[in-house]
Amino acid sequence: MQLVRSFPAEVLGAAAALGLLTTGCFSGGDGGDDGRLDMALAFPPVKQMSPYSDDAALLGRVGAAEPLITLDDDGAPRPLLAEDWEQADDDTWELTLRDDVTFQNGTEMTAEHVADALGCATEASPLPRALAGTELTAEADGRHALTIDTGNPDPVLPQRLSSPELAILAPEAYEEDPGTPDPKGTGTGPFELSEVDGGTATLEAYDGYWSGEPQATGIDVRFVEDSASRVGALRAGEADIVDAVPVAELENITEQNLVEVQLPRTVGMFLNNDEGVFTDPELRAAAAAAVDSDPIVEGIYEGRADPVEGIYGPVSDWSEDRPDVDPEAEPGDPDGAGITLATYSDRAELPEAASAVAEDLREAGFEVDIAVQEFATMETDLMEGEFDAVIGTRSYLLETNDPIAYLASDWGCDGSYNLARFCDAEVDERIAEAAGETDVEQRLRAAVEIEADILATHSFVPLAAERARIGVAEDVEGVAEDPLERTIVTAGTRTS
Amino acid sequence: MTASATGRAPRRLGPHPGRLRAPFVAFASCTGLAFLVGALPWLSGDDPAQTVLRARAAERGADPEALQSIREELDLPADPVSGTLSWLGGAVRGDLGVSWVSGAPIAPDIASALGVSASLASFAAAVALATGILVLLPVLLRAVRTGRAGGRGADVTGALLASVPDFLLASVFLAVVAVRWDMAPTSGWEGPAHAVLPALALGLPAGGLLSRVLAGALAAALAESWVRTWRAIGFAPATMAVALLQRTLAVALPQVMLVFAGLLGASVMVETVFAVPGLGHTALVATLAQDLPKVQGAVAALVLVGLLAGGAGIAAHRALMGPALAASGLTPAVAITPAARRLPLVIGGALLLAIAVGLARDPEAITLAARLEAPSAAHPLGTDSLGRDLLARFGHGALLSAGAGVAVSLTALVVGAVLGVLGKRAQAGAADVLNALPPVLVGVLVAAAVGPSPAGAVAAVALVAWIPIAVHARTLAAEVRASGYHQAAIAGGAGRAWLLRRHLLPSVLPAVSRHALMRIPHNTLALAGLSFLGLGAPHDSPEWGAMLAESIRYVERAPWTVAVPALGLALLGVVASLVRTERR
Repeated sequence: MQLVRSFPAEVLGAAAALGLLTTGCFSGGDGGDDGRLDMALAFPPVKQMSPYSDDAALLGRVGAAEPLITLDDDGAPRPLLAEDWEQADDDTWELTLRDDVTFQNGTEMTAEHVADALGCATEASPLPRALAGTELTAEADGRHALTIDTGNPDPVLPQRLSSPELAILAPEAYEEDPGTPDPKGTGTGPFELSEVDGGTATLEAYDGYWSGEPQATGIDVRFVEDSASRVGALRAGEADIVDAVPVAELENITEQNLVEVQLPRTVGMFLNNDEGVFTDPELRAAAAAAVDSDPIVEGIYEGRADPVEGIYGPVSDWSEDRPDVDPEAEPGDPDGAGITLATYSDRAELPEAASAVAEDLREAGFEVDIAVQEFATMETDLMEGEFDAVIGTRSYLLETNDPIAYLASDWGCDGSYNLARFCDAEVDERIAEAAGETDVEQRLRAAVEIEADILATHSFVPLAAERARIGVAEDVEGVAEDPLERTIVTAGTRTS
Repeated sequence: MTASATGRAPRRLGPHPGRLRAPFVAFASCTGLAFLVGALPWLSGDDPAQTVLRARAAERGADPEALQSIREELDLPADPVSGTLSWLGGAVRGDLGVSWVSGAPIAPDIASALGVSASLASFAAAVALATGILVLLPVLLRAVRTGRAGGRGADVTGALLASVPDFLLASVFLAVVAVRWDMAPTSGWEGPAHAVLPALALGLPAGGLLSRVLAGALAAALAESWVRTWRAIGFAPATMAVALLQRTLAVALPQVMLVFAGLLGASVMVETVFAVPGLGHTALVATLAQDLPKVQGAVAALVLVGLLAGGAGIAAHRALMGPALAASGLTPAVAITPAARRLPLVIGGALLLAIAVGLARDPEAITLAARLEAPSAAHPLGTDSLGRDLLARFGHGALLSAGAGVAVSLTALVVGAVLGVLGKRAQAGAADVLNALPPVLVGVLVAAAVGPSPAGAVAAVALVAWIPIAVHARTLAAEVRASGYHQAAIAGGAGRAWLLRRHLLPSVLPAVSRHALMRIPHNTLALAGLSFLGLGAPHDSPEWGAMLAESIRYVERAPWTVAVPALGLALLGVVASLVRTERR
């Protein structure tokens, strides 16, 4: 009988051939190391590298685009594309631009270009976060002089202008779609973005960079979301620089260097003021008293985070001199009160911290359920107060480097990221007052005073202050240490 | 010709009756799924403006102005139907629209991701087939020499392979082969070298499962009369071996195509570990961001390829079986596999002992000062990342892990066997569509329907777990129907129930039952894979799959945290594979 028509080898061959047929889809690598930097970054582009999205941070970190102003380690504005600025009157700022800046396509940067670029930002959808609540118009006032009308008094305009979302691109970037500017070859930074797809990006050094020729000849970026894989690339010598190194991987990095920077980012537990068990101030006080954050810092973060007393971490010098907190209530008896503690798994340390915190709360007499999901699938529930307590991590200096904006969004009655569902008329009033304060010192003073008011309600239980960790190959020098995580590679970064 | 006459006409396996059906199934399922996906925001209760904003700016608060401007920019549909209708309108003209998140056209993205996934999945399917054959080779060679299958070595090897999670293999390969030995790139997709580790990670466990199907088919083939005839005539052993292998492969090929189609959208974790820009990851990110046009595009691509692969599997089975499948030349028989006596007792006993000891210890006590400790007298199996005793967690998690896996496998067996045996015509259809769906989409839909719960996870996994069983049953049933005794029984006027009870089920059930048993660890892992959606075992549960998923990032620093649950699953798999499923 004839059962047999083909050979097994052919079957295997056919499967392999199908694989090879489709290998046209390999993207092809580059060989040789000629002064180029290889980077493995955690977050892939989300909106075609448009600065009006999280891609703005990416553009800054690889040195492709720059805003007008930068911030130093203390958060004070420093010149970048703008040389000088002053508040002419309440509603008007006058800026002087550098006269030696060219875009990567060779065009000279003029005040006209800058005014147009800022104009596009004010019309972007949604409005860049740094511009939220403002109505500014920019106008050229000469070849390198710019006037910005802020509509209302805006004491922190320089801080706003330092936001990576307000990077200045050449006019042609805005031609096709002003809502999604194209930064390829149109930035002012030391590296020119030449190619980008979902998994990789390529940049070439820009010889005409205003601050001197970049040391590296180019950058090859790969986007690797898995942290073990990213660190693996560093250890195997495939990557020179990797970002977002998690604590769990530190022990595996033995032959490479680590750049560690304290961040204005605090991990803490937010207690629901609006619904459930923690509407009772005494039980909030009981929960706050029960949680011991030291073992979390030392154990789960393995000593690679910092202890924190309130909302602001040790990186913010201005928060060191805190007013005393006057607790609103004494700890009450939980008496088996049932709570649900939620956190998200996007940051691997958080679920572990939740387990430890839950253990503390159980010992104090609470009944605790833990809910853990990906942030994306639980965001609605988190924001709508479905849980009694949420462990989360927040940067209090996002975008504007101004804690008042953070306080408004996270602790204001109408705040858009109010995890604690906190609403206190007095605190709201103080936030509004501080937002109008023109003196930066006074704003920071107000920020710590408002923090004391919040801590007095036991609505926030601080756990740890985070650090940024960048893994760097041994022969690479000059990686930026930026607590705002806005730059990594600069003109001075080089590989030998 | 009247309808009744058609009904009585002998069923032909020729291609003509189904010719029109396949494109219809494809069209109907793509359209239906597009509507289902289009209704996602209404099912999940999450505002797409918010999820899109989150995808574009992770830490930005969703203030009302920002949400409003996103709604205006995207022209978000006001009801579940209108958006999908306009997307379908574009799709039939070949325009898949633009992504809500990135604003870029979808078609090029999907095409490139599909290309990447297709090559990875075909490499993995080739690895799986080669692995399955290699596992079975010793049995085959012995069978050719002695005429009997015998021995349970292949069962144990296959069960061990099948119970290893692909993401564990991926992590170990990354740490050992790519980083320590520097023998392969760590990640990326730049050349064929980049495909080796991901294909092995995906293909080896699939090969273990496949070896089960192959072993069943080989045992059945050995019991067929032609084998005796050939042996009596004195055919060369090599000729016999090749013939037996082909007879065996005929049953396995539909499974290989199933593996291929399933991996296209489901290899998310391996894709993530090796930064492979494939369709599984694309679908995951788009589903979480509720980027509906992109999800619809990805699902359409997966379903079409899945149907093609399913059809190819059936065609391959027919081609390899040749005319035997249409005529009545086959005499499939129930193979009697010698039952292993001592091995299951030894392994099961050891497992039970460890569980009993573990049950006497405290699985919940957290000691952060003693995290990730190596095995010692105080902690015989070491501690996990919170300093909890692993032996205690192993013991307390046993029942949960086995229970959930068994529940899914039993459901899959019942549904799969019924649908597989009763299915009239071998055709690519609903099973292939479901098989091709990305698990995250199934998970999100189920979570939206029943809420996050362990039962929801079982439902989501069971929804696809029956498919390999059904395809296996269908393939075997087709062979039984082509057998001489089956044809003879029909000629003798046997009724449908009689045929089912006396011929179909006795031949089909033992093999598919063993297949279902072998999938228990696989199902347990699939359950754990949905935990990030809030489905499955709750946080802190000592369920083995959950333990594995939580500890995987410590695989290099503290291998015992991963080894303990992995070993538990492996032993569970081995014991299950040694259960006897035939009646004597």
